[in-house]
Amino acid sequence: MNAIIALSLFGISNLFLGFLNNRKILLPATLVFILIALGLNFADWNHEYYWFNNMLKTNNLSVNFVTIILLSTFLVVAISRSFGDDDEHSHPAEYYAILLFSAVGAIMMVTFENLIMLFVGLEILSVSMYVLTGSDKRSLRSNEAALKYFLMGSFATGILLFGVALVYGATSSFDIHGIAQGVAKAKEQMGGAYGPLLYSGVILIMVGLLFKISAAPFHFWTPDVYDGAPSIFTAFMSTVVKTAGVAATYRILSISFPSVYGLWGNPLVYIVCATLIIGNITAVYQQSFKRMLAYSSISHAGYLLITVLAKRPETNSSLLFYSLAYAIATITAFAVLMVVSEAQAKNGKADESFEALNGLANNNPLLAFSLTISMLSLAGIPLTAGFFGKFFVFSDAFSNPSSLFKWILVIAILMSTVGIYYYFKPIIAAYMKKGEVAKIELSPLYKFILILTTTLTILLGLAPDLVKNIF
Amino acid sequence: MNYQPSDFLPILVQLVAALAFIVATMLATHWLGPKRHSVLKDDAFECGIESVGDARTPISVKYFLVAILFVLFDVEIIFMYPWAVNFMGWVKSTSDVAITMFLEMLVFMGLLLLGFIYVIKKGVLTWEK
Amino acid sequence: MQQIPDVIREIPLNYYVWFSAALFCIGIIGVLTRRNAIIIFMSVELMLNSVNLLLVAFSSYKADPAGQIFVFFIMAVAAAEVAVGLAIIVMIYRNIQTIDVGLLNKLKW
Repeated sequence: MNAIIALSLFGISNLFLGFLNNRKILLPATLVFILIALGLNFADWNHEYYWFNNMLKTNNLSVNFVTIILLSTFLVVAISRSFGDDDEHSHPAEYYAILLFSAVGAIMMVTFENLIMLFVGLEILSVSMYVLTGSDKRSLRSNEAALKYFLMGSFATGILLFGVALVYGATSSFDIHGIAQGVAKAKEQMGGAYGPLLYSGVILIMVGLLFKISAAPFHFWTPDVYDGAPSIFTAFMSTVVKTAGVAATYRILSISFPSVYGLWGNPLVYIVCATLIIGNITAVYQQSFKRMLAYSSISHAGYLLITVLAKRPETNSSLLFYSLAYAIATITAFAVLMVVSEAQAKNGKADESFEALNGLANNNPLLAFSLTISMLSLAGIPLTAGFFGKFFVFSDAFSNPSSLFKWILVIAILMSTVGIYYYFKPIIAAYMKKGEVAKIELSPLYKFILILTTTLTILLGLAPDLVKNIF
Repeated sequence: MNYQPSDFLPILVQLVAALAFIVATMLATHWLGPKRHSVLKDDAFECGIESVGDARTPISVKYFLVAILFVLFDVEIIFMYPWAVNFMGWVKSTSDVAITMFLEMLVFMGLLLLGFIYVIKKGVLTWEK
Repeated sequence: MQQIPDVIREIPLNYYVWFSAALFCIGIIGVLTRRNAIIIFMSVELMLNSVNLLLVAFSSYKADPAGQIFVFFIMAVAAAEVAVGLAIIVMIYRNIQTIDVGLLNKLKW
């Protein structure tokens, strides 16, 4: 948990490093900072420990989540290319600092023990993301995305908070274990029924969190925001924010409200089905690669929620594995998208449509190969990490005795076949379509990250037990 | 104490009386006062200086920055109120919790100070460039 | 001197709950129906304030200070949100000279 303190201090020192007039040191410094935080995080391994007067708690599950979050942050920072060294309108020191601060928020969201910390962590993460979404100040698309994200995000926060207040009224506690006791007591007093405070409180908390992880029907902001934000921050949003959001949802639902499963489980079934169907079907119709990735992130939120819903003992490890596989593949896809869309820019505007990828394989075999592997992983084709991610999630759903899960499984499997269709679009564009992409010069770090993520995806696809056993 | 809705009747009476007074005075001045218009009299009054242009023009964004910074640093005061109220209690208690709490407040203020130094170094508060 | 929690407790808890719920709903309706970004933003603040009121009421009825501490955090975070939100709105106003969200339609599915 010293990672939180370290990352906050590193963020501040990053702000002051920005005064040095030497933008070259920012990227390596930030990477080193994240690696130090990652090392500090492992110090908590195998210790169940409460921090800051029972505000946060670390255990192996949280350490694993923090590792995924910091790894994603590391990869995103590594592919940031200093946000354009020559552009006087960019503020790399501030961007890196805000990325570090938002990692702090994400860590608080996966380790919270008190709802105050959930709220503070969520807000640190969200407010940072509002700023980063609008960081391209002169682009109207970025402006619009920032405003939409901000209005929708603060609306969701309001809903979450009202739920928290109602649950506090019903259980007299903000502590997640205290709430669990309060819920059990309230249930006893009401003779098995739920009081109106608890009922609406749980639903509102769930809705507030689902807004943040963009599950349907609360997903309307997602495609616009992901599309309008600068690609590098979209990569961050669709990995770190999603992982932290799902982890927070899982944590509060599984620790505080397991005894009222019927109350949140029933609506969640419909939400999961709607998320899967809307995310996948709408992704088919997209012309823009970036927008397709936004819808794909909605659909992956659906898969992640299946295992939260299934509530099996294996849910922990499935959730971790799926988040890891998804994060790595998504960052690879965005890494390819960023360089290709900039190389194919028309009139100074980055071209993010599928056509920009046409003929990518001719001159840029590495980019095309990484893209292929990441798309296969997102689609869940065997021999990639994504296949085992989906496999573990589906087997969780399958082993749940409730017959409802058979139907969810049917929908999920149908929708992953739909997914195969649109995930193959960029691959086909890169290999089969005629087009010309000039050879793109990549920095050694960029190449290394692409090779690393691609190798990891294949490695996890060949031997999932390597990390599955740790989780 | 238990209040009945009828206990709030005086408030209602007061509300009606207040509204009635406003309406009555407005109507009375409208009817009673003589109406004499002239160019000078209808002019917008601005301390004797001739008024220029529209009042709703965009103003420098620097005002906005200063106002926002004020709000940000001002709100942090609310974390000091509970701390200050309880501090004498900690001092009087035998354990050394007071020292811990003092150090924690120092850290909090230190972080705020770092933010302030950042703001100054960024040149947000230099009014003329 | 009468203690503030006692003053709060002179009104039944139910009234607070209904009043906060009403404020919250007004906020939601404001967010969903208004088109001016600043007014939407004010509606969101109204929602947050209804939460604050509810938390304070619960906190004094339960004689538990945790609820009031939460209110402090909500206030501090809301101030940070205001700073970022107004900055975003100023940025948009500089680019398109309006803050009507209906005119923001560069991104459509």
